Amino acid sequence: MNHYQETLNRQLPFVVDDLTFGFGRKEAAAQSPVLRNISLKISSGEVLGILGPNGSGKSTLLKILMRILIPQRGRVELFGQPHAAFSQAEISRHVAFVPQETQQAFSFTINEMVLMGRYPHHNRTWGLGWEGAQDRAVAMQAMRDLDVSHLGARLITNVSGGERQRAVIARALAQEPEILLLDEPTAFLDLHHQLEIARIIRRLNRERGLTVVLVSHDLNLASQYCDRLVLLREGEIVTMGSPEEVIAGESLEPVYGCPVLLDQHPQTGKPRVTLPV
Amino acid sequence: MASVTSQSGKSHAGSSSVVPAPAFLSRAEPATSAEGFRPAQTIATLSPIKWIGVSGGLGALALVAFMACLGFGTETISFANVAALLAQGPFAEGATQNVPHYIILWQIRVPRVLLAFMVGGSLAAVGASLQALLRNPLADPYVIGISSGAALGAAVAVLFGVGFSMLSLSILPFSAFLGALIALLIVYRIAVSYGSFSIHTLLLGGVVLNAIFSALILFLTSLAGPYKASGMYAWLMGSLTGPDFQTVLVLAVYLLFGVAVLVSQASALNLLTLGEEAARSLGVEVERVKRVLFAAAALLTGSVVAFSGLIGFVGLIVPHGVRLVFGADHRLLLIASGMVGGIFLMLADTLARTLLSPTEIPVGVVTALVGGPIFLYLLVQQRRRIVS
Repeated sequence: MNHYQETLNRQLPFVVDDLTFGFGRKEAAAQSPVLRNISLKISSGEVLGILGPNGSGKSTLLKILMRILIPQRGRVELFGQPHAAFSQAEISRHVAFVPQETQQAFSFTINEMVLMGRYPHHNRTWGLGWEGAQDRAVAMQAMRDLDVSHLGARLITNVSGGERQRAVIARALAQEPEILLLDEPTAFLDLHHQLEIARIIRRLNRERGLTVVLVSHDLNLASQYCDRLVLLREGEIVTMGSPEEVIAGESLEPVYGCPVLLDQHPQTGKPRVTLPV
Repeated sequence: MASVTSQSGKSHAGSSSVVPAPAFLSRAEPATSAEGFRPAQTIATLSPIKWIGVSGGLGALALVAFMACLGFGTETISFANVAALLAQGPFAEGATQNVPHYIILWQIRVPRVLLAFMVGGSLAAVGASLQALLRNPLADPYVIGISSGAALGAAVAVLFGVGFSMLSLSILPFSAFLGALIALLIVYRIAVSYGSFSIHTLLLGGVVLNAIFSALILFLTSLAGPYKASGMYAWLMGSLTGPDFQTVLVLAVYLLFGVAVLVSQASALNLLTLGEEAARSLGVEVERVKRVLFAAAALLTGSVVAFSGLIGFVGLIVPHGVRLVFGADHRLLLIASGMVGGIFLMLADTLARTLLSPTEIPVGVVTALVGGPIFLYLLVQQRRRIVS
């Protein structure tokens, strides 16, 4: 493989080509696909927002990138290699996923939760997967980055929603990923915590060059914090481009099926959406 | 891609990744920045030393409980005497061979108390694993119908004339294993089809499954004729009566293997409690791990039920208590539950043997009387947690 190709692969962590996905058995999946003919390139170091109404396939696309779901048709390449060439643990060393909701059936401490992010790095051929000094150092750094290091001994079931979400992002960072996938990272959070999470995501992107793909219902948040947006409707890409191109009446109104009012954010000049009375 | 050389700072063991990591990942070095003097903060978590300490300590406790339980029975043997007789080993020659206490100890009590330890430990380890797998702290092989599936499998084998011979040591557990596996797969389908957090659906499903299996067992029992039937009733109530050494040793092989498999999946179990999607995103090969766990849980439940019938609630209350003391990490939880479950059932069985001596209470009755109320209490607690 030549140098040019190698550089290209590194600049394009994800290449999705003509992807089609449906739930259920093959025939049922083919009849009512959740995603249709999706082609998408994700560049290294960008913040990409995936927008769209409920049921448009946003979260499904994210889960396919994480190989939680496997598409029936089409290619997904990670750093130029087909997804299937990786083991699940190998993918998890490059890509981390922050789910919309975290199930908490048992009371793990935040320390234990964040250290779970080290699982893909463990050598599991022998032993119980004990964390080494390196694992603890990486987890500690991730907890500092998300400002949860003081909560380490607390139980995940006993902290606030914002703290829990930060702990889950810290767990994702403990995987040492190059790409962070976030499914509605600010859903269920109040304004203060929404801003906090958004700022953390931007800081990780700017300072570390972390590639971020986030799914959001919050058009304004996406407009402010994303470099590029993808708008989905019924499993197909409607528009793709800068916030100025996507957050526009002619693309939003048909997709969401309602009129929108647009102006500019007073600080950044990015498009801002409100609903008419 | 073979020509790609990785110059990244990643140094994780076993990395066979073919993709070069960007240079910024060298941040992963410990946070001892060059200028700032930062004290090395560490994360308090489970270490191998703590693991060995806790399992060793509980092992010692189990040994003490084992010797204490050997002393009790219709004939009381003093602790010192127990120790002395144990020291002579199972194959003593000459005079001691005919001492009544020696015979009682080695031929009756040692196999029985050992069986109690193994059965209790296995049930507790299975309970803890099922709770993680089903993401439900109230799962127990008895409560959700796995045990009765195994019992049905065993009852079929008994009806078709398998007795306790060397051959039956493999056929009986095997048919119980199949019964347990089928029950486990049904319960799992119920659990996932209604969303993985539906505690009450799972319990209701388990109750109904239990009812169906019990009806089938009773049907088979009524076909069996009065003599066989009374034996089957006693066995169904859960009993550790009269095992011989050979049985105990064969069972030990099955159970040790099953528990070792469960423990080997402990860190994957930790991640499975987060949900299957989250576990997969963290690098767990979920389908493979699930298959391994299903097989091991069915093997353990099947073997235990084949030899000791239906003993309930050990798999529920023991992991629950252990979790409160030692935390939720399955690497420690499984082994500690195994030890504590063993101790619990040794004590319960001693109680069952001695309370109305010389009459015996089925040990399943004792565990149900202790565990049932605790289960109900936890159920109410769970409800509160969901509502609030």
